[in-house]
Amino acid sequence: MKRLKDRYGEVLLFNIGAVVVGLILSACMLLFMKLNPVEVYSTAFLKIVTDKYTMGEVLVKSTPLVFTALAFAFTYKANLFNIGAQGQFYAGSIVAVTLSLQLGTVLPTPLLILLVLLGSFLAGGLVGALIGFAKARFNANEFLVSMMSTYVVSAVMDYLLRTVLRETKGEYLQTDPIDANAYLPSVLPGTRVHLGTVLAILTAILVWVLLYKTPLGFRIRAVGSNATAAELAGIRSKRIYVVAFLISGGLAGMAGLTEINGVQHMLLQNFNSSIGSFGIGIAILANGHPLGILFASLLFGFMNIMGTTMGRMPGLNIPSSIIDLIEGIVMICVIISYFLRGYVHNRREKQRLRKAGAQK
Amino acid sequence: MAQPVVEIRHVSKYFAKVIANKDVSFTVHQGEVVALLGENGAGKSTIMKILYGLYGADEGEIRIRGEAVHIKSPKDAMSRGVAMIQQHFSLVPTHTVTENIILGNVHGRIAIKEYEEKVKAIAESYGFDVPVDAKVGDLAVGVQQKVEILKALYLNANILIMDEPTAVLTPQESENLMVFIREFAAKGNCVIFITHKMKEVMEAADRIVIMRSGVVAGDVRKEDTDEAELARLMIGQELTPPVRTEAPQQTGEAVLELKGVSALGPEKTPVLQQVSFSVLPGEIFGIAGVSGNGQDEVCEVICGSRPVTEGAVLFRGQDITQQTIRQRIDGGIGYVPVDRYRDGMIMDMTLAENILLKNSYGGRWTSKGFIAQKRLNDYTAQIIKDHQVKATGPSDLARSLSGGNQQKVVLAREIDVGQHLLIFNQPTRGLDMGAVDRIHHSILQEKEKGKAVLLVSTELSEIFEMCDRIAIMYKGRIMGIYRNGELDTQEIGLMMAGVTAGKEGQ
Repeated sequence: MKRLKDRYGEVLLFNIGAVVVGLILSACMLLFMKLNPVEVYSTAFLKIVTDKYTMGEVLVKSTPLVFTALAFAFTYKANLFNIGAQGQFYAGSIVAVTLSLQLGTVLPTPLLILLVLLGSFLAGGLVGALIGFAKARFNANEFLVSMMSTYVVSAVMDYLLRTVLRETKGEYLQTDPIDANAYLPSVLPGTRVHLGTVLAILTAILVWVLLYKTPLGFRIRAVGSNATAAELAGIRSKRIYVVAFLISGGLAGMAGLTEINGVQHMLLQNFNSSIGSFGIGIAILANGHPLGILFASLLFGFMNIMGTTMGRMPGLNIPSSIIDLIEGIVMICVIISYFLRGYVHNRREKQRLRKAGAQK
Repeated sequence: MAQPVVEIRHVSKYFAKVIANKDVSFTVHQGEVVALLGENGAGKSTIMKILYGLYGADEGEIRIRGEAVHIKSPKDAMSRGVAMIQQHFSLVPTHTVTENIILGNVHGRIAIKEYEEKVKAIAESYGFDVPVDAKVGDLAVGVQQKVEILKALYLNANILIMDEPTAVLTPQESENLMVFIREFAAKGNCVIFITHKMKEVMEAADRIVIMRSGVVAGDVRKEDTDEAELARLMIGQELTPPVRTEAPQQTGEAVLELKGVSALGPEKTPVLQQVSFSVLPGEIFGIAGVSGNGQDEVCEVICGSRPVTEGAVLFRGQDITQQTIRQRIDGGIGYVPVDRYRDGMIMDMTLAENILLKNSYGGRWTSKGFIAQKRLNDYTAQIIKDHQVKATGPSDLARSLSGGNQQKVVLAREIDVGQHLLIFNQPTRGLDMGAVDRIHHSILQEKEKGKAVLLVSTELSEIFEMCDRIAIMYKGRIMGIYRNGELDTQEIGLMMAGVTAGKEGQ
């Protein structure tokens, strides 16, 4: 058990280090703009932690990231790559907005939310399962198929936004707003934090239980670690591919519920267009661990808000795109640290052996 | 004494988890055949891969003809006359012999006829009968090895390293190879060959370097030693004579029966042809043969991972040909595959999880839909104790155990799964003597319980020691089935090479 703890500590150390290095590198960018990074960072930081509403925004931004990161992590455990969480999220969003528009005034809120939850899960799950099926049946490369599936789904979404789902005014490529009856209830008064955040935390715990405490999760991990041995143990890896992708897609689809019913209250073109890719980074940052994802998502939610806050600082003229830069740099640092960690680990093992050998 | 051709001085190599070589030093002189003897995992291949530039040494130096060299790649090695023939050949099956030999050493337009003549000349000078324009994929394994040797000769190699060269050969082919090695060395070249077979060492080597757990355990001239001493150096203890159990005539209904089973390989080539045999309860049925002659495939059709194109597999009187792997596991067929890393274990999972691997379906290890971790851990701890597995507990990663201890865990799991039939595919390959002994003991114990046992082995000594009846396989066919004691090594050897024996089988 001790060794395991050591490893968690190591992961934490490397990740914090990567984030700090990333922030320092980003600070250099601010220097180019002739700004004092320490001042800008601290002002932004203070603004966030002292303002309840802004703090709440961190949670709001983190929520969908939890789902897309869980989606990536889930297939990752089966040694599969689902990089199409964005598309599965769109599929969930389409279903969420359609159900909410159609039934928003008919059903009582709890029942409606439950229905939308199920619908968005299934919609994302269906897209995911198709990718898993292509992999299982035709040995297609799931990396490419899942990547392309995002474009397909977003094209379908655009089509729907131009036709049946288009707002009654017919002005923009967006739907009508959904009825307030279909909103996810707020959980923190004075902020925009909604039930979806609670749902995200519960889902992460549920995913952890599923992966590590149930036979299905065990089989998924078994196939992920060694598909041939699993196959010889009577586990049909192809079936696992489909199941893993279905659940993964479903998780991404659930973000559709939290974003449509919790935040935006309508569907529009290029909706939250980067949560899929950030989910991948967050999952890597958390080493694929469902509970680690909660914290990693929080970090990215925080950085997002920090960027927005910096952009709004009076008189400094910081472009709001600065946040893309900071997030990007931090992400690169995290990915580099992932490889660095492996390298350091190997070196240390070698050193240990050398010592052990010398003592002989 | 003249200057040595190869000097390896205090070389150490560390991998992420193991010490592969520690302070290894030895020399090779002109015209000398040196055997590198040791059990699998003793570090023989590693030190040779360092000499051939596939690995870099972490410590120490290598001198070739007195000059300290830093060999960075095989190309580097070859330019200094070092050639290595790997255990798994590096040939392109769809190219011809000549194309393979000149591969990587030609530029521009290739005058293939000229090269063919050149290759033919080299082949003839060593009495090799190799068709220079044939596709390598169509050649027998023994001939493919000759192509590898020709490749080295073509590059004027004078230091030839061979990694387990006889592992894939029949006894007769091995003998021819030994003749070549002697002849090649007599011309003033050096040969280093890696082996764990004592017989070859005494036959062909001038000097023997014995390796054990990454260090040189002995460096002796052949004249000054004997097999007993070598064995002692190799395993670090005296060999105990094997326990040969009495094999009473077995009766009863066959547990396993194969009726004219055929199967296809990846290129739709037949890998099994009309294989028929049966295994009785309380019997160990051995399959002997050079590896790659259909033994793996026999195991696969029985455990269900390879489809049968013709014939039927019967288990306890029932046709299971169409059953899934899981159905067969549930029926009581245990299978210890040859490649534990690929097929038998999940190295990144704990021992408990590896025990669970074949039983994740059904309610045995679950309660209310969740894995019954406590119960599973207790059971695994018991296995660790009963089978003397060197591990700290059920939460150890499989990867952290030595090969022998990993195999004990697999064995324990399969013995439990295989309530009626146990299939062992080379269960002791690459293990140290202590582990081999324990595993043989376990197999005999299961036989006593009345289980049917199918034992595939490429080591004739193991076959003779363990089996009641022996089948010999060659090119996907059964060459004959005999009771243990009916045949001697020579006769089995011939059949392993595809020569039909004079005596008729049962």
